[in-house]
Amino acid sequence: MTRIHTADAGTRTPFRVQPEMSGRLTYAFYSGCCFQGADARFFDILTQVFGRLDVDLQLIPDAVCCGAGVIEERSELASLAINARNLAGAERMGLPFFTPCSTCFNVISNVQKRLAEDPRLHDQVNRILAPDGIEYRGEGRLTHTLYILAQDVGLEKLGERVTHPLHGLRVGSFYGCHTRNPADIQGYESADNPTSLEDVLRVLGAEIVDYDTRDNCCGYHVAWPNADLSKAMTGQVLQGAKKQEVDLMVTSCPLCFKNLDGVQPKALAATGRDFQLPVLYLPELVGLACGMSPEDMKLDFHVVPVNVRL
Amino acid sequence: MAPVKITPKRESLLANIRVQRFTSGKDRSPYFDNFKLEVETGMTVLAALRKIKDEQDGSLTFRAFCRSAICGSCTVRVNGRSVLACSTQLLPILKDFRKGSVTIAPMANLPVLRDLVVDIDPVIDKLAKMHPYLIESPERVPEALERESLMSRDELNAFDYMTDCILCGSCYSACSSVAADPSYAGPLTIAKAYRFSIDVRDSFRGIRDQAAIDQGLWSCVQCRKCIKVCPKDTRPADTIRRTRKLTIDDGIRDTPGSRRAKAYVADIKRFGQVNKPMLPVVVFGTKGWEAIEVAEAALTKQGLEPTRRVCKLPGQEGVEGIFGRVRAIEDEEEQGR
Repeated sequence: MTRIHTADAGTRTPFRVQPEMSGRLTYAFYSGCCFQGADARFFDILTQVFGRLDVDLQLIPDAVCCGAGVIEERSELASLAINARNLAGAERMGLPFFTPCSTCFNVISNVQKRLAEDPRLHDQVNRILAPDGIEYRGEGRLTHTLYILAQDVGLEKLGERVTHPLHGLRVGSFYGCHTRNPADIQGYESADNPTSLEDVLRVLGAEIVDYDTRDNCCGYHVAWPNADLSKAMTGQVLQGAKKQEVDLMVTSCPLCFKNLDGVQPKALAATGRDFQLPVLYLPELVGLACGMSPEDMKLDFHVVPVNVRL
Repeated sequence: MAPVKITPKRESLLANIRVQRFTSGKDRSPYFDNFKLEVETGMTVLAALRKIKDEQDGSLTFRAFCRSAICGSCTVRVNGRSVLACSTQLLPILKDFRKGSVTIAPMANLPVLRDLVVDIDPVIDKLAKMHPYLIESPERVPEALERESLMSRDELNAFDYMTDCILCGSCYSACSSVAADPSYAGPLTIAKAYRFSIDVRDSFRGIRDQAAIDQGLWSCVQCRKCIKVCPKDTRPADTIRRTRKLTIDDGIRDTPGSRRAKAYVADIKRFGQVNKPMLPVVVFGTKGWEAIEVAEAALTKQGLEPTRRVCKLPGQEGVEGIFGRVRAIEDEEEQGR
């Protein structure tokens, strides 16, 4: 099958979630592994920030790990089945499926797409789920922090809630790969020229700085099989941003955050570089701009010190 | 039914086409030339390059042949994305980027010979090491000339999608892992090897398994850029995961990647969640203890209590049945073969 490439292929009209009468938005929340356990603080940060923006999250009961594409290296059918089960959880709640993790977003989007394209596979998966009394209908919508902020809450409302704008702060934005590749996973915006992250950052008052490693991969998913390669990739991203003298980097992906902040000292040491570049996870910066304190945003948990006074 | 009008509205836009130039042995480093061009509806990147060469600068050098997205020779990068010049229109890109300028550069990850022409030998050398051809299995390919080697539809479907690959190198140019480690095989080489390994008429799978491992099968970072850029929609990153499965099924289980895959499946089946604190030891063996101790010290410093147990939410166990039923289906399919 030949695809004729046009840059706007896959860009559909964004489908906004309409707020309830109260003006609040509610989502079925799929946590993924980086919003629990040792990383549970991300969940606290996210719920606090969303609270300011009238967004409510209801945890999907019984949702399990998406397998991050790794279980597909043993069984594609298992990945399809458990993620159809995860999606069915949100369907039963009658709410849009929201995951803040870009990899979960990617993996589950692909499951949704494959089952929509292949009715035989869809039936097979439902036969696997049936003994547990679960049916996946394939009706739900899947979304990510980026699109909740930029499209559902909307830039106007977000702007109204900003009390401490980031005037003059030079920010390097980093999407990471899994909300962008492949281009057809959800269609909220152009995969070649996405703007949701920059749109949000501009509303917060940041100055967006372009840098030549913006579209690179942070290397997170190769850390287990090949740690050196992962560190080399992380180091390259950081050095590109550093060259443009950004004050800080912001990423919408919690896994990119883990590599760019958590692995930063080792990644730079491996490439013989010595600097510290603060990296923030997008909700943290939104929270700061909306008047929350660095303590609320738990910035002292960062490996690279963040000193932003707004 | 009224006929649907499919003729697009004709538009045109005066744009600046930035083209990377470089002549090996003459220029110290690549530079950009700017060409003004009236870009019209339907004009492809290749049409624009030819027009520039015909009317503005005859020395502009690029590769192209079939103009039908089948020879795979005209791959370039347009605003950073690897595309076939002959099947990519310029106007939608200008609109997408909301700029009056577009940048055309040669493929990444390969040495530039001149302007937009790269030396493809490095990737062809890697491909050659994968034995990308069918080595007949006597069980499936009868010797007698008049007897055919028949295949079922399912057997064909296992690799049919990969036969669309035209070796254009878009995926290789987009690959994050090749960029960071030039010795890594790249998406197209592994995907092409898979196409033959999964072919029931073939008998060389084990050799290709090892060749793939040797050329960095587990170095793919799964960024999925290759899936995005493939002009034939062959989804190389998906095929790389399938190749990983093949090598594990064939018994190559002593790699960190295969141990990770095994641990993920076992943990999710049992707990509904991966036991992350213990992953270093599971993947790297006793060497992993050091990483665990470092991680635990970091948590303690932050005032958190480290644990070696799986962190999960209530109700996450409960997919064991699903894994069991999946296994039963897969076993049945295996026996059917």
